[in-house]
Amino acid sequence: MMVPVRCFTCGNVVGEHWEEFKQRTREADDPEDPEKVLDDLGIDRHCCRRMLVSHKDLVDIVAPYQ
Amino acid sequence: MEYEVQFVEHGDREARFVARPMTPAFANGIRRAMLADVPTFSIDTVRVIENSSVMFDEQIGLRLGLVPLTTPPGEFEHGDEVTLSLDVSGPDREAAAETRTAYSGDLVANDPMVEPADENVPVIDLKSDQRLQIEADAVLDVGQEHAKHQGGVAVGYRHLQRVEDAGPRGEFDDDETRIVRGVIEEGAPEHAVTDASDGDLVATETFDNNLRNRYPDRELELTDVEEAFVFHVETDGSLSADQLVEEAAGSLRSRGVELAEAVQL
Repeated sequence: MMVPVRCFTCGNVVGEHWEEFKQRTREADDPEDPEKVLDDLGIDRHCCRRMLVSHKDLVDIVAPYQ
Repeated sequence: MEYEVQFVEHGDREARFVARPMTPAFANGIRRAMLADVPTFSIDTVRVIENSSVMFDEQIGLRLGLVPLTTPPGEFEHGDEVTLSLDVSGPDREAAAETRTAYSGDLVANDPMVEPADENVPVIDLKSDQRLQIEADAVLDVGQEHAKHQGGVAVGYRHLQRVEDAGPRGEFDDDETRIVRGVIEEGAPEHAVTDASDGDLVATETFDNNLRNRYPDRELELTDVEEAFVFHVETDGSLSADQLVEEAAGSLRSRGVELAEAVQL
């Protein structure tokens, strides 16, 4: 649904970087490599990286059924 | 007892330092104190005035609880409460396809010392005609009680390792990597590719964690340095790394004092 606030494994706050990550890797005209973006955002551990890489926003999908 | 502390990396939320001389038990005591004994503010009770978003009240409450709040050390006592409020409405009806997001930064506290440490954490997306209006009580508690009160993230330590030269490498030896992580103590400065002197502390990232990059064509011997520990401290933003370590050491000290008083004959 919404991006998790923290990494499930280590507790680092990953929600903070979601919008920038989404913007730079998916919405930009010239999408960047997610690996480089995560390095740039300072998300170093693979537990935190998977939180953003594997996330999908679902609010738009469930909104009509409210 | 005096401890020598040398910083290898020193940022606001992240720090790496070597501390010595200390026993493994004491090093672990500090690590545990950083995780479990340093109190931070976190939202604990939420009064929902209006929630017409797509998420349940409890889900929103959980998300708000995980948002780190700044906690100036020494200003508050265990159990103190600060009230925060959040009121965000979706876009007007005309822009029905639009979404307005409520962020952690929209939380307004009644105490200026306590505020969200990160302002861009999305709490919930709101469509038109949806609204989230809440009042929340943040309470000062310790990580022992709930992980959301934990100031430290991925706090750990490892032995400091000393690198010493063990002669030249055989000309036809396999080109294997020699991976080491953390911080090394320089013991073979004459063979390092960069300028170094004996006893220097070098973060392994500087040579990509591979000793072969730093000492080409040399065999090396790694030994743990007795009673020296490399701490890696990272915080979620509620305190700075310095404050976290100081508070943890302080909590250990107060426990020691308490014990000494309790067992006096």
